[in-house]
Amino acid sequence: MPASSASSAHRPEDLISRLSSAAVDGETKLKALRELKNQIIGNRTKKLSYIKLGAVPSVVSILSSAAADDDASSTSVLLQSAAAVGSFACGFEAGVKAVLDAGAFPHLLSLISHPNSKVVDASARSLKMIYQSKLAPKYDFLQEKNMEFLISLLNNENENVTGLGASIISHSCETNVEQKELSDAGVLKRLLNLLGGSLCERDASLESLATVVKGNSEVVSRFLGPESGRALRAVIELTKDRYPRTRLLACMCLIAIRNASPSYLQDAGQKTKLMLILLELLDDPGQVGDEAAFALSSFIAEKEDLQQLAFEANVVDSLCNHLQKGPLQAKRIEGILLALADLCSKLESCRSRLLSLQVLNLVTDALTHDSANVRAAACICMKSVSRSVKNLSAGSFVNEVIVVPLVQLLDDNSISVQVAALGAISNIVVEFTKHKSVFIQCGVVKQLVQLSKSMESAIRLNAAWALRNLMFVSDDRCKEGIFFELTASTLTSLICDPEPSVQEQALALVRNLVDGCVDSIEYVFLEDGLILHAIGRQVQSALKAEVLVQGMYVLSNVASGNEIHKEANNNSQLRTAATWALVNLTFPSSPGASNRVAKLRNAGITSQLKTMVNDPCLDVKLRVRTALGQFMTSAISVSPPVVALNQHGMHHSRIEARKLFFFPAFESPLEVPTMRVRITSLLVLLLFHFAGVMLCFHSVPIHSIA
Amino acid sequence: MPVRVVENSAPSQVSGANPGHTSPPACTLLSVGQAFSGTQNVSSLQKDEAWRVNVRIQGCDLDHGYLCGTMEALNVPMADTPVVTFWEGEIVDAKNHTFFTGKWEATSEVDIRHWTKFPSFSPLLSQVEVDGGRSLDLSSYPYIFMRWKEQYFVNVGTDCGLTIAGFYYVCFSCSDGSINGFYYDPNSSPFQKLELKSNHEGRWGYSFSSYELQ
Repeated sequence: MPASSASSAHRPEDLISRLSSAAVDGETKLKALRELKNQIIGNRTKKLSYIKLGAVPSVVSILSSAAADDDASSTSVLLQSAAAVGSFACGFEAGVKAVLDAGAFPHLLSLISHPNSKVVDASARSLKMIYQSKLAPKYDFLQEKNMEFLISLLNNENENVTGLGASIISHSCETNVEQKELSDAGVLKRLLNLLGGSLCERDASLESLATVVKGNSEVVSRFLGPESGRALRAVIELTKDRYPRTRLLACMCLIAIRNASPSYLQDAGQKTKLMLILLELLDDPGQVGDEAAFALSSFIAEKEDLQQLAFEANVVDSLCNHLQKGPLQAKRIEGILLALADLCSKLESCRSRLLSLQVLNLVTDALTHDSANVRAAACICMKSVSRSVKNLSAGSFVNEVIVVPLVQLLDDNSISVQVAALGAISNIVVEFTKHKSVFIQCGVVKQLVQLSKSMESAIRLNAAWALRNLMFVSDDRCKEGIFFELTASTLTSLICDPEPSVQEQALALVRNLVDGCVDSIEYVFLEDGLILHAIGRQVQSALKAEVLVQGMYVLSNVASGNEIHKEANNNSQLRTAATWALVNLTFPSSPGASNRVAKLRNAGITSQLKTMVNDPCLDVKLRVRTALGQFMTSAISVSPPVVALNQHGMHHSRIEARKLFFFPAFESPLEVPTMRVRITSLLVLLLFHFAGVMLCFHSVPIHSIA
Repeated sequence: MPVRVVENSAPSQVSGANPGHTSPPACTLLSVGQAFSGTQNVSSLQKDEAWRVNVRIQGCDLDHGYLCGTMEALNVPMADTPVVTFWEGEIVDAKNHTFFTGKWEATSEVDIRHWTKFPSFSPLLSQVEVDGGRSLDLSSYPYIFMRWKEQYFVNVGTDCGLTIAGFYYVCFSCSDGSINGFYYDPNSSPFQKLELKSNHEGRWGYSFSSYELQ
């Protein structure tokens, strides 16, 4: 063929017109398909330009008409068009989208039942490409027909067809119900057999197995069986496979099993081996190496025992070495930072190891990385490392190199980066030296206050959290600085935030605000007691125990002030809130009421309540009577309290109250044991505050209090 | 100042195959932010001397039997300013730590000699002699035993002429928040007594601050 003519025939526009023209003969079309396929294989730029020229719908239309034809000549067209569709979809999301939009999927699926095995193979390959993408349609396992079809795929002789079956599972199985259906249909057994198959079958089967057992202990025990020997051994064996990808997938499958059922994979040696394999895989320059770090992270996350093993196996050192070796791709840095974050989340030994290896500067460098995921991961790592109270106390994190880039990330475009940065800042501001003013001077407080008004609840929560920690044991000038930026009205809105978790942090913030110097209590009385009223309302209406606890602690701290504060408390809703909470705790129809009544009675609450029967505040008086009524009617079989109403009795009940306060574990279990007991105990303490107040109260004319 | 005993029940021994999985009581008075003040008696044969001491709890992690904070010594003769140190504490919880120190030059005989200085330790003695208290259930005992070890000077250099080589045997009373301790350092005068009380910091009652790490 002359060179000039060939180059014209290779022009994309010509190729497309030959594909879509009805006038050209079958042979020409076949040639054009072949040419297209060869041009786009492994070439994203070519794929994209052909997609833009509308090549995909033409190919799919050839595929569908060839599928409808019954003659033998259509077979080659089917093979070529199916392969071309697969090439478009291979590793290229825009290609998958174009292929799906053009309606290729159902045609390919029906070709799986084609009599010609080559056609079956070609369509299975293409469908597998599609199933590598998130865009692939979800397969409905719950329809009986679909399940039968899936089983037939897994039982097929052709490895591409069985691989397709496994890919469908990895892609579409999400819920526990689906996992159970698949397990009931015998899929696990079939996948287990495929572990002995070809490389492609092994990998696909490992991935599906991990998907089917993920987070489902019932399915795990079905898979591993009563003796749990063979299946587990088969997977463990593959962690030593010669192919890195197979080793990785086998590790991920074991991790899925362990994460779903901690009773398997108990052997410490095996767990350490698994970590070492993953570390070794980090040397792989490609995707396998990237995923290895994430796999390690999912293995050790939240599991202190495994973090300890990892520490003993020098995993901190290895990960740090990788970081130091750099430069690395974004995905790799992200994975390593997240794995380090998990390692340092609980164990001080890991944190101090990381700090001693001088890696913190690499973490701070990553705070300004181009990739948002890396920036977020660096923040999360910083957050974990800064959980070290020893280093917080030494002021190790309060320096420009760390604080400045972290504060800049508060303006980041990505919400997840902002939230992660707030998390790290929340820890770093827990600062015991006299450096807290640094944060106020550099404008952090202003930004935190701004973020506490965000529409995003996660940002509001974390900003309030940071402010709460910043307020912890801070001196008067710091408090003044923070409160000046925050204002009583913003603080009130935070206390009344729709999210209970934000309310909790806001109340804890106020609790810290009124701690320390007695004068700081005045803050809650500003603007006609705006803050105190909001707290009172929250304490009466809050549903979440954590919110109530923080609210009560604020009131308790206020009640520890001078007489004016105590009386102001008296005047405000404190006693009402406390008695309301008592009323609620002893509410007759609630199942544990009689149990709680017994506890409160033993703590001497009834005698205390009796002294409040003529409380000057009508609301309190009524609530006290309700509460007392509930104490009387509650059928209890415990011995009556031994509290006498004399001076010694007073002492005794104080001690009893503290007993309740200090020894929650002492109490028999309630529905929500510790929290309930703590609230109850807190109430007892509060009421004892009032006991002191009542004495002076009686001598004060009622009208002078108002 | 006499310490009021809440409940004089001797601690029970843990039964069953899962010994030592009961932490000491979570005590609000031993939570982060709480302040204590008192004295440390540093008298020697030559002269009577006591330094005023302030302590603040900075971190508490009962799961790991860990406590930490700062200790400020006020009228130290050779220092111009108060000397602040950071200390870390081991809570004797039979899970993370027993009554036997096993380090810091403290033999079990030294341990027993110091622990028995605390009256509240006597009900525990016989069991501690057997196994360091590993099988004791301290979860409802109204006293918390600890070792506090100073780690570094916060505001002065190591050349300040002071030493933090030793450590404290500490007994905390859950009922009133009082702390008693004995400093142990083979090279310092023996049984220097630390006596601290919950510091109300000008309040008529107890105030509780809190932080939470993410």
